[in-house]
Parts: sequence; C-alpha cells; structure tokens
Amino acid sequence: MMRPIRSLAWRELVRFFRQPHRVVGSLAQPLLLWLFLGSGFSASFRPPGLAGVSYLEYFFPGILLMLVLFAGIFSTITLIEDRNQGLLQGVLVAPVPRMAIVLGKVGGAMAVALTQVLLLLVAIPFLGLSLGWAEGILLLLGLLTAALGFTALGFLIAWHMESTAGFHAIMSVFLMPLWLLSGALFPMEQTPGWLQWLMQINPVTHALRLLRLPFYQEASALLGQPEYRLALLVAISWAVGCLGVALWQVNRLERGAPLP
Amino acid sequence: MSIQKKRQPAQTMIDIQQLTHLYPRRHQPPYRALADCTLAIAANTLFTLTGPNGSGKSTLFRILCGLARPSAGTVTLSGVDCLRNPTAARRLLGVVFQHPALDKQLSILENLRIHAALHGIDAATFRQRLAADLAWAGLEMRLHERVATLSGGLARRVELVKALLHRPPIVLMDEPTNGLDPGGRRDFFDALLRLRREQSLTILMTSHLFDEAEQADQVGILHQGRLLTTGTPAALRSQLGRDMVVIQTRQTTEASALRAILSARPGIRMVQREQELRITGIDPDTLQQLLFQHREQFESLVIHHPTLEDVFIHHTSPSQAIEVLS
Repeated sequence: MMRPIRSLAWRELVRFFRQPHRVVGSLAQPLLLWLFLGSGFSASFRPPGLAGVSYLEYFFPGILLMLVLFAGIFSTITLIEDRNQGLLQGVLVAPVPRMAIVLGKVGGAMAVALTQVLLLLVAIPFLGLSLGWAEGILLLLGLLTAALGFTALGFLIAWHMESTAGFHAIMSVFLMPLWLLSGALFPMEQTPGWLQWLMQINPVTHALRLLRLPFYQEASALLGQPEYRLALLVAISWAVGCLGVALWQVNRLERGAPLP
Repeated sequence: MSIQKKRQPAQTMIDIQQLTHLYPRRHQPPYRALADCTLAIAANTLFTLTGPNGSGKSTLFRILCGLARPSAGTVTLSGVDCLRNPTAARRLLGVVFQHPALDKQLSILENLRIHAALHGIDAATFRQRLAADLAWAGLEMRLHERVATLSGGLARRVELVKALLHRPPIVLMDEPTNGLDPGGRRDFFDALLRLRREQSLTILMTSHLFDEAEQADQVGILHQGRLLTTGTPAALRSQLGRDMVVIQTRQTTEASALRAILSARPGIRMVQREQELRITGIDPDTLQQLLFQHREQFESLVIHHPTLEDVFIHHTSPSQAIEVLS
C-alpha cells in the first residue's frame, strides 16, 4: 500500500512545482498578508498579558496555520481536475486499496503545504523567537496533524464537486471564517462572549494552539497542560474523522436503483 | 457432457448474465439504461459493441470496470465475480477510457511509472516491459516529453501501452479511437491486432464506427439498453441476405406508395425512413419491374452488399417500419 501512496503523492508535488504560478501564488499571499498586517498593526497591538510581543510575532503562528490550511486544501482542488480530465478513473480501476487513493492525494497536498511552511520557518530567529529540539518536534507534530486534518477536509469537499468555481465558493464562506475565528489575527480573551464561544468550538482554534504554544512554553510543561492536551485531542480526532469520511466516500460506488 | 460443462466457463473470459441497470430519477420512475443483457465473450476474442449514443454502452462499460454496481445481474471476468471481488477483478483488467487518463503535466515515463506503482510492477520488470512496448509504439525517443506536447494519436498509443503494462488478460476500451484521424485509427488498430495475437488478449471495445466493428471477431448491437444481436460481422451481414437495395424518393408519400406496391411481393423485407426505403430479399423480377415500371417514383436506387451499418439500421428501426411477408 505504501508504494501507490508514495507514487500518487509524488505526482502532486511534481505537478505543483511544474506550475510556477501556483508556487508563487500559494506562498506570496500569506507572506504579504503577514508582512503588511503585521507591520501595520504592530504599533497599536497592546493586548493585556502579551507585553513585548509584536504583532508580527503574534501573527506568525497564524500565518503558518494559514499556509497549512490554504495550501493543503487548495491542493486537493486538483481532485476536481483529475476527475474532469479522466485521470481519476484510471486510478480508481487500479487494484489498490481505496485508502491508498485517499492518502496519496492527501499526502501529496500535505507535502506541498509543509514544504512552504518549512520555508517560512526560516523567519523564526528574526522574530526573536526560539525553539528547542523538543518544542520543535511538538511544532512539527502540530503542523502534521493540522495539515492531515484540513487536507482530508479539502478532499472530502472536493470529491463531489463538479467545478473548481464551486470549490472556491465553499471555501471562501467556510474556510476563511474558520481561520479568522481561530485566534490567528487577534487573541480570544478580549472578544465578546458569543465570539469566544464560536472560537472555542472551532477546530482551527485548537490547531492554532498546537502551532503557537511550543514557541512560548517548554515541551514537558506543554504535555502536562490541559489546554494543549485538549488541542491535540481535537486535532487528532478531526484528522481521523475527516479521513474516515473521505474513505467512506471513495468506497461508495454509483449504484443502480433496485428493480421495481 | 459433464466435461463439456466444466470446460465452458474456463473458455469464457467475460461473462455477463442478465444485467440490468436503472438510474434513479427524482419524481419519475427510474431510467432503464440496461435491460437484461446477457453476453459471453470467449478468450482471445476482439468483441466490438456498437450502438447509438445513449444505448447503454457507457453504463455497461462502467459496470465492467467496477465503477458502478448494477441493479441486477452478474459479471464474471475469467471466473472472478466482479461484484463480489472487485480488487481481484481489477487485476485482470487493462482499461482505456474514452477521455485520456494521462497526466498532461508529466512525461510519458512518469505516467507509466505511476501506473507501474499502482499495479505493483517491480523496477526490473518495468524496465524490461518498457523496452519491449516502446519498440512497437515508436515512443522511445519521446519518453521524457510531457504528454501535453504529444499528438492525439501518440497520446492514445501511450494509453494503450499503459493499459497493457501490467499484462492484463482482458482489455476494456471505451471508444478508444475517439478524436483520431483515419491514419491514427488505422495505426491504433494495427497495433491492437498485433498485440492481441502476441499477448492473447480478450478485448471488449465500444465503437460507433462500423468500419471499426468490421475488424472485430464478434460484434454486438446495443440499442435502448438491450443487446439486440451478436455474431461475427459476416454472420450479421448475412442476416440481411445477399443484396441490399436502398431507394431514395423525393417525398415520403412516394416512398410509402412504393412500399405498398412491394409489400405484395413474397420474401421482401422493408424498412422505411421517411424518403428512404431499405429493401432486402428482393428477387430479380421485382427489381426489374421496379426499374422499368416505377422509375418516375424515385430519385435513386442503389444496390450493395449489406454492411454492418445496414444491420444496425435494420435492428434499431422502429418495429412498425419493418414488414415481413412470407
């Protein structure tokens, strides 16, 4: 099962890097957003309890998450192209477990997203942030779990879509708010009650915690902290759930109606 | 007797029994795409399924590939129940779809390598088969070119190489020559017929081109979800007798009038399609009478040996248009 997954995932990566406009578009948007918003808000950003944290720094984990989310999910959009071009049919008639088809696509999209995230991690020392080995591993774990969960979400949304335009529409009314309400742009503590409640049930909020907390606490302390543990649990359950639904969808065949 | 019974299934590579497929529709009774189709295709046969658009060809194809489950019936491929054991059935199949199943961004080699990975072909076997297959396909020099840069004919050849790379005993092809020019079609068929000999393939293909069907060992005509007739091209043609007479008139009423006159003659079968009258089983006397006494009533009269197209029209015309008189 590993070889088909590897082969299908490799295809996604090659395709991504052979389309330079995709590389540029996917990386430039979050980067510009981060630089402009981060620099612009830095002067007025003075939330209580976050003294000494510039907005550029506060926003950094949010931008990492944005890359994971958007690059991952938008890579699964290629599923719609694959189906329309007939390529998907060719994969579906191959004697491979259906899970390999899901993981091939999801794995490839994850690789695309994480490659870009790694490029952005270069900024860490310039922000005055530091990361020990153990914390680095926790950050990587967070990135992987978040990427897996949200790429699988992209897969299961794209599976039934007939056009990429429809996918974009769903994503902008669904994905963008999820990201906005994750605490990526502003801290949750000072928001109105209803908003806090929305942010608390948002799975992306938990994914963000996995990416932010390793910068500020030691690994041993994190693993004992209920907030971090909950975030990890939510992110892993989210990933398993989305993969499960995606697999169920791929397994479901078009069926003839029963005879009258 | 019992020995014969046991040998029968081993020789049948594709066995379709009473296949029915209904498409569910909202607020309407389901649409019947296939109705009680039964078909057995023997090993090493090139079987061509013809039929107009919407006849059920594509539905049958999707079921055979394991992409759809029928409402009723069974499909057995080389003894493997396709519906119960889809993964085992997939191993037996090489499939060429109507729409290209190649990644245009990747090179020929990269596409084939992915196919090898999906079918568990190891590196040494892959190299060996690639060398052999590229020789007949004439693709050696272009292995590293992206599929997007290939001509339609060449891309189809890559599809064929890909479909046969895992050496399947059964090949399914849905309108494989779609979009090819006549030269490309001829090349494709030459390659296909040679490969069938060399690899003893059982091939089921769909086509709406009768000159293609003419090259098949067996032809089946599918119409409105029903398999109307199957047989060798020669046997199907001989159903219509030795000569086929096609008369064109200026007006439908003239054709109807001629039909009324001819219907008094014994052994004549006629299909009227507006101003056209298609006649089989005509005797020389009647033909002479038609030419000398009724010349004013028609514009042209053509006599030819029946073709598969004639067979197709004969079987798919509405039954009220066919008159059989003994």
